[in-house]
Amino acid sequence: MTTRKFLAAGIAAATLFAAAAPALAEEITVTLWSRADRSGPLRAGNIVDAAATLNNMLAAAGSDKVVKVELIETNAKGFDADALDVLKAHSVGDTPDIIVAAHEWIGAFVEAGLAANLESHIAANPNLYADIIPPLWQSVMFKGERYGIPQDSEIRMFFLNNDKLRKAGKSEDFIAGLPAKVDAGEFTMADLCSLAAEVKDSGAAELGIVHRPNVGPDFQMAMASFGIDLYDEDQAKLQISESGLLKYYSWLKTCVDQGAIPADMTTYSWDSVHAAFRGEKAFSKFHGIWNLGAQLKAFGIDPLDKDAYFEKITWINAPAGEKGGRPNNLSHPIIYVVGDTPNQDLAAMLVALASQHVPNTKHAVGTNHTPIAYGQAAMPEFIEKGWGLVAGVPLLEYAEFMPNHPKIGQYNAITFQGVQAVETGEMSPEEAVEMVIEELETELGDDVVILN
Amino acid sequence: MTSSASFRQASTALVFLGPACAFLLAMLVAPILVDLVVAFTDMSQTVKIDNFTTEQFRKLVRPSEEAWLGFELRGSFYRALSLTVVFVFLTLSIFNITFGLILALTTTALPDKLGAFFRAVWLLPRMAPSVVYGLLWIWVIDPTERGLLNQILVNVFGMAPVNMILHHPMTVIVMANGFIGASIGMLILTSAIRSIPQHLFFAARADGAGSLSVIRHVVLPALRWPLSYITVFQTLALLVSFEYIFLIMGPSRSTMTMAMLAYTKTLAPQIGSGQYAYGAAITLILIVIGMGTALLLWRLTNMKTLLAKPRIEVH
Repeated sequence: MTTRKFLAAGIAAATLFAAAAPALAEEITVTLWSRADRSGPLRAGNIVDAAATLNNMLAAAGSDKVVKVELIETNAKGFDADALDVLKAHSVGDTPDIIVAAHEWIGAFVEAGLAANLESHIAANPNLYADIIPPLWQSVMFKGERYGIPQDSEIRMFFLNNDKLRKAGKSEDFIAGLPAKVDAGEFTMADLCSLAAEVKDSGAAELGIVHRPNVGPDFQMAMASFGIDLYDEDQAKLQISESGLLKYYSWLKTCVDQGAIPADMTTYSWDSVHAAFRGEKAFSKFHGIWNLGAQLKAFGIDPLDKDAYFEKITWINAPAGEKGGRPNNLSHPIIYVVGDTPNQDLAAMLVALASQHVPNTKHAVGTNHTPIAYGQAAMPEFIEKGWGLVAGVPLLEYAEFMPNHPKIGQYNAITFQGVQAVETGEMSPEEAVEMVIEELETELGDDVVILN
Repeated sequence: MTSSASFRQASTALVFLGPACAFLLAMLVAPILVDLVVAFTDMSQTVKIDNFTTEQFRKLVRPSEEAWLGFELRGSFYRALSLTVVFVFLTLSIFNITFGLILALTTTALPDKLGAFFRAVWLLPRMAPSVVYGLLWIWVIDPTERGLLNQILVNVFGMAPVNMILHHPMTVIVMANGFIGASIGMLILTSAIRSIPQHLFFAARADGAGSLSVIRHVVLPALRWPLSYITVFQTLALLVSFEYIFLIMGPSRSTMTMAMLAYTKTLAPQIGSGQYAYGAAITLILIVIGMGTALLLWRLTNMKTLLAKPRIEVH
């Protein structure tokens, strides 16, 4: 009996101590806001891993502090809806310590007092940040200062199906020479539509070019081709050029009239858009590099076989609007924002650890995003599995970013109204320009500058 | 004693009426008051109010020298208003009233079990979750050959595929809302037809009335009040209805009614939302239009008499 009693007491005491032991350490909870996103589960996962690394460091230093990441995983439909949700949370005092966000929301976050200025943190930790590809920093700037750390980057461009070109009677030389012609400004947006119409009329493809069916950043590169510069950085104001917009909408109308873009493009579901290109019904699609994985699967190409992929698909920048002009593409980085909270220094260190080569490569290769640091391109994993991303890095030379302006979402929604009106034939390009300019002026007021 | 009695009376009233009053205030009155206040602010993405302003209403109009009041409705707002009128009128007149009436007349003319079966079938769309119902519509009218409608048109009738979303957007939303709205009319009218004393039918038949005459002289006069009720109630419901439009059409320009406009400017994901004050202003106008319409229909259909105390007492 006595032995039993002792045993019982022993077990009870051990349980008590075991339960009490973690309570002795001071636990610091860092909240992480991230939407559940199939295109980047490790954006949140890398922060959680970073906390483990940091805890090892703290333990080694004999600290009794333990960092715990509390993940607030939201189910917002997209980054815009998610950003609005985080702004609402901030307005009632629930500011998260770290936020995974689309970079163009930086402006809104700074103005709302949500984002912490990271200039001094970056300056104090050069060993953690010095290898980041410099143009990416532009995506986290607001009024000349950095308020985020780029987490991944990507390229949005036109995908062309070479088999369709071959069926339409185009030579291998023509196909191989296209990207260079685009980069030299010889092959224009109008040429692209004519080519798409030619391929379609030859019976090689059912559809010419497909684009996203809803509001989003992709259209910016087409607008840029026609000389529309969306942002005046000095004044931190959005801007639009009336003549550029007319050229852009006229181009859309010509493409629709030629049959190169379906008139009902904006009524498609995303599934139908993907199915059109991956099911080899459409000749071309403009979207992002992360489509690579799904394309390889759909076309039955071995994920490690770079040559077989480029035999089938050509990537081109958005061509120039006029001969001799500059082509361009769009990069749309997702970033880590550190909340302006008491935990901000600690949160910034977690972000720094999560942005190092090994964790970021895991994310980038796993989800087809281009690297954030130069060194990543030399990592074996990148060279073997990330060949598509390495191939995309030269395109970054022509990359444009979305303006970090709080009202860019509204701006895109309004210019998309014009796209829909012109494509469906509801309005002529001139009428659409008039409508869009009026909407921009009334809804954005002083935030937008209308240029001729 | 008197004061304690009146106190008890008051406290009893509070206990019994309190929950209902609190519910009314919190769920019906408060949202309208909040909307009223927000509409006159500059609240946007950050959910903060910096200024009280009439700016939101000025966004809906533009100055014009020719116009009567010195301003005219701006394109998108005018369009939303006209689309709303067309949508409400067509859905109400074709489906909620006419089709609901036809359903009620036919299913009550059938044997009881068969009639109940058809009524149950027509209730299915209302019982299905909105998203499922919306998805079914999307699949039916898909513009490619994957859509059910096009499969039938192409394979059965040998016709060319149609793109309902592009060419007949209003038809799509009227039908989608109508199939659901018709069932309410059907239920109310069925119960009204059932409450007509049977001897009236027998008497009419004995006098040699055919089916159409029975409907015209016996049934329809008994349906006047239920029809008025359906008209008023469904008009108000359709004015603010947007969920099926959004689920099926998305933020398409061709079906951007007032309710949709308010939703896309405020809460709809990924289409430039977050303009809470602007949306509140549009909603406020919608509330005013709703009140005006309700009062007008109240007068036109003489609802007051319906709700008045009966002049005779039936023992």
